[in-house]
Amino acid sequence: MISATSASAPNNLRPASEVMKLERLGSMFASRLSFVRSLMRKMITERWQITNTVFDLDSKGHGLAIYRITTPGNCYHCVIFSRDLAPEQRSDRVIAEAWDVTFAVVEGEAEDSLLEQMAANVPLQEAGRQHPRVLVLSRANKSLRNFSQFAASLAAGQQPNPAWLTAVGYLYRTTAVYGNGKFGIADFARLEHNPDFNRPFAAQMLAVYVLRQFSIEQLNHLAKVQSPEQAAPLHPELQRYLGVGNSTGLGMAPFLINHPQLIQQWVYGRERALASARQEPASEHTHAKLRALMARAVKHLQQTRTEDGDQTLRNQETVGSVAEVIDWLDRTPAHHALYEELITWAHSHCSLETQELINTMLIELYPELLDGLEDELGCQESMDLQPDMKARQLKDLIDRKFSWALTYREDCPEDNYWFWYRSAEKEEPRLGIRGTESGAEKETALAVGPRISRCHTKLERFLQRSPNAMVVEFLMAHPEQKECVRRIQTLGETPYGEIRANLWHRDMKPMHLLRTKLSFFGASRFDPKSDRWVRITLFQGAPLSAELSNHELSPEKLDDWGFPLEPVIEAGESDQTLQGGAL
Amino acid sequence: MKVSFNELQGLSRKAFSGIGFDDGDANDAADVVAWMEAHGLGGITALQKGLDFLLNEDKSKAPELIYQDADLCVVDAHNKTILGHASLAIELGYAKCRARGLSVTKIRHCHNRMLIVGYLSRIASRNMSVTAFWRNAHEPLTEILVSFKSGDAEPEICMYSLPSTPDDTEPNDGITLIMVNHVNLLPDLKPDAPLNDLLRQDRDAMASWHERSLVEGIEVDTALWERLKTLATKMLVEASDDSRQGAGAGTNDND
Repeated sequence: MISATSASAPNNLRPASEVMKLERLGSMFASRLSFVRSLMRKMITERWQITNTVFDLDSKGHGLAIYRITTPGNCYHCVIFSRDLAPEQRSDRVIAEAWDVTFAVVEGEAEDSLLEQMAANVPLQEAGRQHPRVLVLSRANKSLRNFSQFAASLAAGQQPNPAWLTAVGYLYRTTAVYGNGKFGIADFARLEHNPDFNRPFAAQMLAVYVLRQFSIEQLNHLAKVQSPEQAAPLHPELQRYLGVGNSTGLGMAPFLINHPQLIQQWVYGRERALASARQEPASEHTHAKLRALMARAVKHLQQTRTEDGDQTLRNQETVGSVAEVIDWLDRTPAHHALYEELITWAHSHCSLETQELINTMLIELYPELLDGLEDELGCQESMDLQPDMKARQLKDLIDRKFSWALTYREDCPEDNYWFWYRSAEKEEPRLGIRGTESGAEKETALAVGPRISRCHTKLERFLQRSPNAMVVEFLMAHPEQKECVRRIQTLGETPYGEIRANLWHRDMKPMHLLRTKLSFFGASRFDPKSDRWVRITLFQGAPLSAELSNHELSPEKLDDWGFPLEPVIEAGESDQTLQGGAL
Repeated sequence: MKVSFNELQGLSRKAFSGIGFDDGDANDAADVVAWMEAHGLGGITALQKGLDFLLNEDKSKAPELIYQDADLCVVDAHNKTILGHASLAIELGYAKCRARGLSVTKIRHCHNRMLIVGYLSRIASRNMSVTAFWRNAHEPLTEILVSFKSGDAEPEICMYSLPSTPDDTEPNDGITLIMVNHVNLLPDLKPDAPLNDLLRQDRDAMASWHERSLVEGIEVDTALWERLKTLATKMLVEASDDSRQGAGAGTNDND
């Protein structure tokens, strides 16, 4: 774990004024440094084993399943409870109280007494008291359409139509994946010295990965129950093309704002990777690889379905734009400064999404050079005051590093349009319109820009009276500014600092915040359901657990699963009779 | 009931916000309570003892700086809890020490003094040697000495009774802080372990308590936990049909 400082920055990092704009952050794609990719890589190189030890499901697929995860130094168990769920209870929101499956990853053995405690509490999720050996707590709902179609096909001895997974790439959608001490589970501090899970969100991603395995085995079980003689197991290519969905909303935003050092570290890691990659001389080999990656990405995006009009337009624009990138690569041979030339060209010819896609692919080209950065995406989060800093230096720091925040206008309705709050209903984060909806007096302090601007105004007035004062003297006059000032001092020393947006502004798009975090997780298939609610897919295309221990498959090959494409199943294997029902 | 460190910290923060603390103070107070409890220093008990007081104190009046020179500052906390703005008095001492090499800070008329240890841990981690000293007024008269070496997160703590009651006309409701940034103060606390030593807590004991807290969780009185939850709900907005739209999601996902 390291903390980023300007002193350790490569000299060709992109400026924060470019990278930290919300619109650009909201245009990023998953990269090889994303958490699902780095977890898979670790599982591949260390040959983790995931084996089913209990599979006690009834004819409807309800019951208990347990998976044992063996790493080089430890063992864990993922305990999954599957139950019947009335349709009226199936909601992806945090305010839901029941789910199709609930599950948890626990450290060590899953002995009877622990299982008993888990059976009584894991299905309750937030309402339960979870055991301190539980590392991750989660739940998921079925994609009903995929489940019934897939089970029917397999029961008939046919493979499902791959296009169904292109439309919706999963059988289950997680609706929350809790770690770090929530509801009594283990604190992340307990994992900081555990090499299996000391990277951000690694344990959570493992839980999601095991759910994928369960969804495949539950599906095969249901097909076999329906038709014991005729049922076919899901084709390995389709298993690989099956991911796990996630449905998420505004809950992503408080995390991004409340963990600024971590977010800056993620961005800094990605930007360092890009800075290193772009200064490499392109060879014939990397030129060809880049072209192939872009060609795969364009197909992947063509195969991405969403009902959201804006996202459809963005995808179409990106597809067109990436096609131009491929043309550009075809007419531009490999040379020393190819990547710089491409980035410069894309800056004036391509959409933000395409620019960020190019960056993602440049990082993909140099695994030996850049994969070490995946161990540097965590940090010790601690914001401390520098009380002896001169107050005028604090003002200079704001002027220099936070000028973006000073555009906020106190008296402008547009700048103060939204307010963020938590509802009494399970603390669900929500957005309200100031002056129209009630609750603004209880708003959560997520709009960092306006806070910095207000602090700056008070600082200017204070300096007129006390030009030589220290920051602590400013704070004794304005104690309510303590949190803002230490945030400014802490983030002001980092290369990227804060997300540059006024989260109160009428034009602020919450979806950009969601995508920012999800891209670092490694999400694909962004499918917005509203301006503040999105479904995505994780692990689509990832190796299967059985493949992790297959020594005939090279780690490099197994690791190459980003931007997955719809598989082609041999004739006779795909159930064409059900085609058309899903798209 | 058992809770995690993060849970205790998170709910305390929300409860302090509900009580009326500013964001910075709510964060600091929650960090202090959770850190103290996780290190075996009774953070929860101190909070439980001081909660009624916290609810009724006037949050609008900040501690007042009544004297300062280059090396010394005296702050009147106006009979408020140390969890509030008192952190700024500590930061003032830190700033003076950085400038002069040694500083003395006196915080007068404050409550929940033991909780100051949690904030001093952060100060010591910022490469500052810190010694805190205060007396408890009850019988027997006791002194508490807390000493952090520069860079250490855990202190040595010693509480001892005084062999005789001195003639003391001043109330024992203050704290004295001595900070030094180039040498360590009191590296060995009462090495001879006097017979009237009432409590002695060393760094190793605190570190192992912390380790155990992470593995086993932290025991919290259920009634206190419910009380903190109730305080935390003050920052939540009542739900309505309109507000349910504010999450931007539907209510049913049967697709």
